[in-house]
Amino acid sequence: MVRHRLSGGEIVFRAVLFALCAVIFLAVAYPLYFIVIASISDSTMVATGKVLLFPKGISFFGYNEIFRDERIWTGYRNTVFYTLAGTFVNLLFTLPAAYVLSRKEFKARRFIMFAFVFTMFFNGGLIPTYLLMKDLHLTNTFWVFILPFCVNVFYLIIARTFFEASLPPELYEAAAMDGCSHFFYFVKVALPLSKALISVVGLYYLVGHWNDFFTALIYIRDNELKPLQIILRDILLSNQVFAGGAGTGGASGGYAQKYADQIKYGVIIVSTLPILVLYPFLQKYFEKGVMIGSVKG
Amino acid sequence: MRPGSLLSALKRDYQLWIMVLPAIAVIFIFSYIPMYGVQLAFRDYDFSKGLTGGEWQGLHYFKQFIDSYLFTDLMRNTFFISFATIVVGFPAPIVLALVLNQIRRKKAKQLMQTTVYLPHFISVIVLVGMLNVLLSPETGIAGHLMKAAGLGHINLLASTSTFIPTYVLSDIWQHCGWNSIIYLAALSTVDPQLYDSAKMDGASRWQTIRYIDFPALIPTIVILFILSMGNILSTGFEKIFLMQNALNLPVSEVIATYVYKIGIVSNQFSLASAIGVFNTVINFIFLFAMNAISRRVSNTSLF
Amino acid sequence: MRGQSEIGPHRTDNDADQTILLAILFEGVTLVRKRIHLLLSLILVVSAVLAGCSGSNGGDGNESVNEGSGSGGGSGEKVKLTAVITKHPLTKPLGEMEWLQQVEDAAGVDIEWQEITADWGQKKGTMLASGDVPDLFVGPNVITDADFAQFQGLFQDLSELTEQAPNVQQMFAEKPETKAIATQRDGRIYGLPKYQAFWPDTVNRQYINQQWLDNLGLSAPTTWDELYEVLLAFKEKDANGNGDPSDEIPMDWPGGIGGYFNPAVLLGGMGITLASEVSGQGYFVEDGQVKNFLTDDRYKEMVMFLNKLYKAGLINPEVFTHDYTKFQSVARGEGDTAKVGFTWGWVASDRFGEQVAPQYASLPPLKASAGYSGPLSWSYDYYSMNFGTNHIVMSAKTKNKEAAMRFINELYSPKVGIQVLFGSIGPNIKDNGDGTYAVLPPQDAKMDPGTWKWTSTWADNGAFYISDSTELTLGTDMQEVLTHSEPLKGVLEQVNPETDVYPAMFIKYETADNNAMSLNNTNVMNLANASFAKWVTKGGVENEWDAYVNESKKAGLDQNLEIMQKYYEEYMSKQ
Repeated sequence: MVRHRLSGGEIVFRAVLFALCAVIFLAVAYPLYFIVIASISDSTMVATGKVLLFPKGISFFGYNEIFRDERIWTGYRNTVFYTLAGTFVNLLFTLPAAYVLSRKEFKARRFIMFAFVFTMFFNGGLIPTYLLMKDLHLTNTFWVFILPFCVNVFYLIIARTFFEASLPPELYEAAAMDGCSHFFYFVKVALPLSKALISVVGLYYLVGHWNDFFTALIYIRDNELKPLQIILRDILLSNQVFAGGAGTGGASGGYAQKYADQIKYGVIIVSTLPILVLYPFLQKYFEKGVMIGSVKG
Repeated sequence: MRPGSLLSALKRDYQLWIMVLPAIAVIFIFSYIPMYGVQLAFRDYDFSKGLTGGEWQGLHYFKQFIDSYLFTDLMRNTFFISFATIVVGFPAPIVLALVLNQIRRKKAKQLMQTTVYLPHFISVIVLVGMLNVLLSPETGIAGHLMKAAGLGHINLLASTSTFIPTYVLSDIWQHCGWNSIIYLAALSTVDPQLYDSAKMDGASRWQTIRYIDFPALIPTIVILFILSMGNILSTGFEKIFLMQNALNLPVSEVIATYVYKIGIVSNQFSLASAIGVFNTVINFIFLFAMNAISRRVSNTSLF
Repeated sequence: MRGQSEIGPHRTDNDADQTILLAILFEGVTLVRKRIHLLLSLILVVSAVLAGCSGSNGGDGNESVNEGSGSGGGSGEKVKLTAVITKHPLTKPLGEMEWLQQVEDAAGVDIEWQEITADWGQKKGTMLASGDVPDLFVGPNVITDADFAQFQGLFQDLSELTEQAPNVQQMFAEKPETKAIATQRDGRIYGLPKYQAFWPDTVNRQYINQQWLDNLGLSAPTTWDELYEVLLAFKEKDANGNGDPSDEIPMDWPGGIGGYFNPAVLLGGMGITLASEVSGQGYFVEDGQVKNFLTDDRYKEMVMFLNKLYKAGLINPEVFTHDYTKFQSVARGEGDTAKVGFTWGWVASDRFGEQVAPQYASLPPLKASAGYSGPLSWSYDYYSMNFGTNHIVMSAKTKNKEAAMRFINELYSPKVGIQVLFGSIGPNIKDNGDGTYAVLPPQDAKMDPGTWKWTSTWADNGAFYISDSTELTLGTDMQEVLTHSEPLKGVLEQVNPETDVYPAMFIKYETADNNAMSLNNTNVMNLANASFAKWVTKGGVENEWDAYVNESKKAGLDQNLEIMQKYYEEYMSKQ
């Protein structure tokens, strides 16, 4: 790196930037760190505020309990499948539509856009939707995770805005002169220029599928089809002995209560870790997207 | 439009139609078809006659809601929480994106980005659990800090004056990083030549942010802002519900939590639907207003 | 509005449950449902507590076995049925329950179970409204009377079929209450209740740390004023003897007003008899009148007393904000050092944990003042403890109703009943061979009897009948409950269930009244909870009382009292 003489303004700027970043970092990171240490600490100590900087009364009871459960693995398998297949279908349906809606020459675009946005604010409610799913024989199948709401209008808008802003209209005109069709232009020009967008929207969809809880809750009855979130919750609840309160009778509290919190924290980690681990890999694409985005001109 | 031009437009755009058709189909089937259920807000719910077979009640259920005892409180609380979230919560990711964009060292930037995205993955239940632990006046770290600062014994979760700040700030904590992704993506499209020429002109980094980065974000900001105005009456249900307690209830009871309470106790589908429709109509009014304003002012609009 | 879950689209991505957003956008119902899971834990606390309060019980009586009609056992092909059960999250898979296999075999059915541990309220709405239902439903109030009224034609009238179920008939004959609970206004029977015979008359026991009293040379309080003095001593001195005089929490409860383990039981010190079926919302019966303590002057007095305690720092400052887990874990203390002085609970070992539980003693009700000479009372929960409404329900669409009824009949055989509640004969129950039985201790020595029961079988969530004459030796947990109920016995025996308790379980409301009441209760409780918390922590009840009472009336309290009075009189006139 070439050493530059730094102007006074630049020094102040850097100092402010550094301080700001440090504060943001600590504010975000500490509570997360806390979950980690809480997941391996004695729950009573956690509840009484004794665990602040370092784990105390270390035990892996929570993790043992969670991983002992075979259902976890079924859940993982299902969730990974739903997430990957679902995200693929999402992008397949959303990106072309967003491209079309970004084309100013496409006359129907305002009407279609309105019809789409309308659904963000208005819908028929759960029961009619359920009846529809039942009639389409989607209930209790994996399709219900993938097909029904595969176009998220919000993400569609993001994509459309991105295409509008980053693809100069002249580019297509020039390509069209050379006899280039919309299909070809979309696949060969628009998509490669939009890696940043694809990775952003893709990640949004991905996280949505990963955390999706409601679909399975309503539409899935078969244990073999349940995703991770549902199963983790079952485990979580099974340790909420307190949920039964007095009802559970006797000394139930003494045995299970003590570990309930620990399992709770453990579950947070088990259910979010995979996506956290995934992120650094995706970040590469983010970066690449960012770079390509900036190289284009 | 003359049929001839319609045909030629179709002929010209057929590829575009093919690309947009799958999305239209999916949205039509799964979002529009079930909309017949909306009439429930205007009818009694009668199981034996089917979803749409109950007696027509017109605006009866709307009146019931508007006349209801808690109506004013609910409206006030809902508006208030929404406004606070928009006013404070909306700019936060923009600022964060601008800050992150300034970090030059790649490793540091990566670390920051990854960190600020993380809280987004945490479920609401867990988040509220964390708030309870961390903000406990007796045992939480916030309690210790406040005692040390001589602020005494404040329970942030249990006071009508601190509920909304706690709600909004924790929300920013959780989602600000994630929401900044969109803005970062938008910043990535800025032409690097612009930066180079700015540098040659001797622009400071403040000025670069002010005159290059920020303008680049405006279209995105406008769109997102319109959408957020369209949700003016929609507060987060889960989080508020979980954060509710007897002491903050006067400010924390919002439309969504109230609908939940009346819905769950008695399956009053019609009343619940009516409140939902009412809510939606208000949201629409805001959405349209913002869209119109923005089309005029900034030439950017949703539809 | 997607926003139902968060605000603003800049956050639409947030919990990214777009399905929800779109699926539910505006319809309240939907949202209602979708969100239920969150509350689930809350709801479970309430409902399971209600359903629960169980354990095991020392039995008496004789003539235990009543061979269930062995009909339908004719092997060969079994009838396939589907069923939903709302079981406790701890409960193991139904396929591993020996007794259930035997019951299914005996009835000649093969049931495909859908086991639900969470979010039943949410699932139920969709299931019923879409008519997509299984043959049988099992669980505590698994389908409510309001559901029967709302979803007419969806459920089977069992009164047509009871002649095929001698065990159910026997239950109706031996315990006429069960028939009354089951019968709707139109005489139909859609759901069958459970009866579990041995449970105590109250869910609440009142505990004080006897060791602290001894350490400080104090005697147990008998009045509110004495309680104040004792708590003050707990607060100011090092009652638990660990060297830190300020780590004691003199008094604690789960929070709010009404509900279980709540200071509302102090109202017994002025003669108000609570009953958990309705006292969560403040209702009680006195001199033939349905009243609500939330607007009763005696309640005002109690609030003033609690405010006095709070001001003196005698109540856990987190009482209105902590959740049940924390409430429980705080009371467990650290090692042998107890933290809480005075509180209410189901039983000491559950409330305080095995280690410090022996320090606590169960107290009789406290008089409001030394000069008070009226009757004392407590919460009388005999009905909610021993009976349960709508524990098994059949769909009207069931193809083979005879087979489903055979299964129900088997469940209600007394010998099966104890197994539904405590677990299979063999691992969980010992058959002494002479018609008597004993609940066995847990196989895993580290586990407590309560957890063991809930792990092994349907327990209190099941549908069953245990006759009063069953001879069964209960587990240690239930014996403890009964022992700790002793101090309350004198007062509870003076309660006349016929006249002092609102017969909530036996009253069936018209749909319109039911809807009006639940709406009003939501409003009234919102107001009551907020006011109660404010008054206890900050005072002000004297000045704000009249306005509050008026406001409660506006919120619908008077209308509810009117409705309840009407039904109450109708009920009493039939007795």
